Amino acid sequence: MKSAPAGFELTVAVWLLLAACPLTVSEWRISQLSQITSYGIFAMSLAFLWGQTGLLCFGHAIFFGVGAYAMALITKGLLPGVGDSTVTGLLAATLLPGLVALIAGTLVFRGRSLSGAYFAIVTLAAAAIAERAASHWSLIGGFNGLLDVPPLRYGVGANRVELLAPVPVYYVVLGAAGAMYGLLLWLERSPLGTALRAVRDNEQRTSYFGFDVSVYKTLSLALSGGVAGFAGGLFVTQFGFVSPALIGVPLSTEVLIWTALGGREVLLAAFLGALAVRSVESVLSEALGYYWLLALGVLFVASVVIFPRGLLGRLLTLSLPRRMAAPADPGP
Amino acid sequence: MAQALLVALDASNFMLALLLVTLGLVILFGLMNVINMAHGEMFLLGAYAVVLVQRYGGSFWLALALAPLALGVIGLVIEEVVIRHVYHRFIDTILATWGLSISLKQAVIIAFGPTAQQVHNPLPQTVEILGTLYPVYRLFIMAVAVLAAAGTFLLFYQTSLGLVARAVIANRPMAGSLGLNTRRMDRMTFAFGAALAGLAGAVMAPLMSVDPQMGVGFLIPAFLSILVGGTGTLLGTLLGTTLIAGAGTVVSSIWSQITAQIVVFALAIVVIRLFPQGLTGGSQER
Repeated sequence: MKSAPAGFELTVAVWLLLAACPLTVSEWRISQLSQITSYGIFAMSLAFLWGQTGLLCFGHAIFFGVGAYAMALITKGLLPGVGDSTVTGLLAATLLPGLVALIAGTLVFRGRSLSGAYFAIVTLAAAAIAERAASHWSLIGGFNGLLDVPPLRYGVGANRVELLAPVPVYYVVLGAAGAMYGLLLWLERSPLGTALRAVRDNEQRTSYFGFDVSVYKTLSLALSGGVAGFAGGLFVTQFGFVSPALIGVPLSTEVLIWTALGGREVLLAAFLGALAVRSVESVLSEALGYYWLLALGVLFVASVVIFPRGLLGRLLTLSLPRRMAAPADPGP
Repeated sequence: MAQALLVALDASNFMLALLLVTLGLVILFGLMNVINMAHGEMFLLGAYAVVLVQRYGGSFWLALALAPLALGVIGLVIEEVVIRHVYHRFIDTILATWGLSISLKQAVIIAFGPTAQQVHNPLPQTVEILGTLYPVYRLFIMAVAVLAAAGTFLLFYQTSLGLVARAVIANRPMAGSLGLNTRRMDRMTFAFGAALAGLAGAVMAPLMSVDPQMGVGFLIPAFLSILVGGTGTLLGTLLGTTLIAGAGTVVSSIWSQITAQIVVFALAIVVIRLFPQGLTGGSQER
């Protein structure tokens, strides 16, 4: 992939701009932006799975939803014996979906793995199952979900403080997003990332080179599922409420649209795709009503046909890691 | 006994209805290698065509004839504007048709509102079968499904047009060099698949709540039927729909509708995992 001339500079500028947002934007908008930023982390997790490994997942909200439910159950103190701290919650929200993804990946990819299109349809069906199961499981609140999920908290015992002010919450979430971006970007640029892209570009050839393709796909799904779950856990601390809508087909579709519109091969582009679509939606959806979703659908089709790499992907592409860069001068 | 007969009748009714919905999908999937996520919405448009015709005083039978025609034309337009550009990018056909499905559904909501529409049943009588009363219209749906499946089979395996279509699928460059118009075949096959979806929607409309969500409910079982049965032959589709609908009706008669959906979807995923080529597919590598 050719890098844009200013990919690095633009990437830094985007993060600085996001960090500077509280200076100019109203507090209400900032709390909105924190929620949207959690969606952005979710979109990055899908971009890692889809853009790097080439696995098109139509049920990615399963992992987001499992994370959200895990977070809600723990911080509400509904699970005896594990405490109710934010840290435990986030840990569970990351590890549990990661484990679910690991098991699902092992089942789906081992041996003769499912082809791309079959994987898409199977994950779509799985999302439908998850949504229906969640709305009929009374332990996790059934159709109504779980209300009054506590916000982010720190400290222990009597000294415990709830983090409620929008600006500090925003910086916590943005910091988390930055950390996840760093983690995924590091993975992407490590030799593991190279192997994942090899699987994406030509599965057969990669396996002939001696790579166990199913292991790489499973690993990618597990990592992506863990990050998606973390995003879900972070999201419910701000949203305060978890319902089957967070685990099903509609949210899986939405994250796919954000990622595709932004650019699936570039993490930050997917992240900004989520931010842009959700921000525009919060401003325009009241004015446009039903026409908003129609416009989004048409824009999505147009971008798939005309810009398969997304609207922002090209702009924000970083140059290749140094170890992979072509030698500048082949020499005499 | 009467209970068992009723379950059997319901199962075959559901199975044939599902077959009718799946036909258009399997033609595009098996023959053109296009995963049409908008199939549910084409089905939906077929049902709303009936609503529209009845609103202007037309009879149900007129609507039943017009719906496939209208959807055929819509299919032509969609093929020309969108699908044509993504044939060579297999995964992108999924995305493009998924976007189409969102747009079409939203367009229906804008045009008709989000609430359910009423379509009156043209054959409200019941008939007695071995001591059990059964609605005539359900039998009519079953007959249409059998005719549509048989017609499709004959069209693709017994006519020269079908031969050309299969030649284009088997080897596109070769068919092109032999002077067959491959673009024309693509257009016609896509329009045919869309028309079948429209027919299914129109036929099913009187028995369903015609609302913008009705397409999605059929899309997943239809896809699972194809994958379970195998994409290579129409026989596979028959087997797949029989298994999905049969299992669904039996489980839901014992437990609930929701349990049935969860159990059937999960079982289908297991079968697809164990037989990635479908139950009838053997040699064909994708």
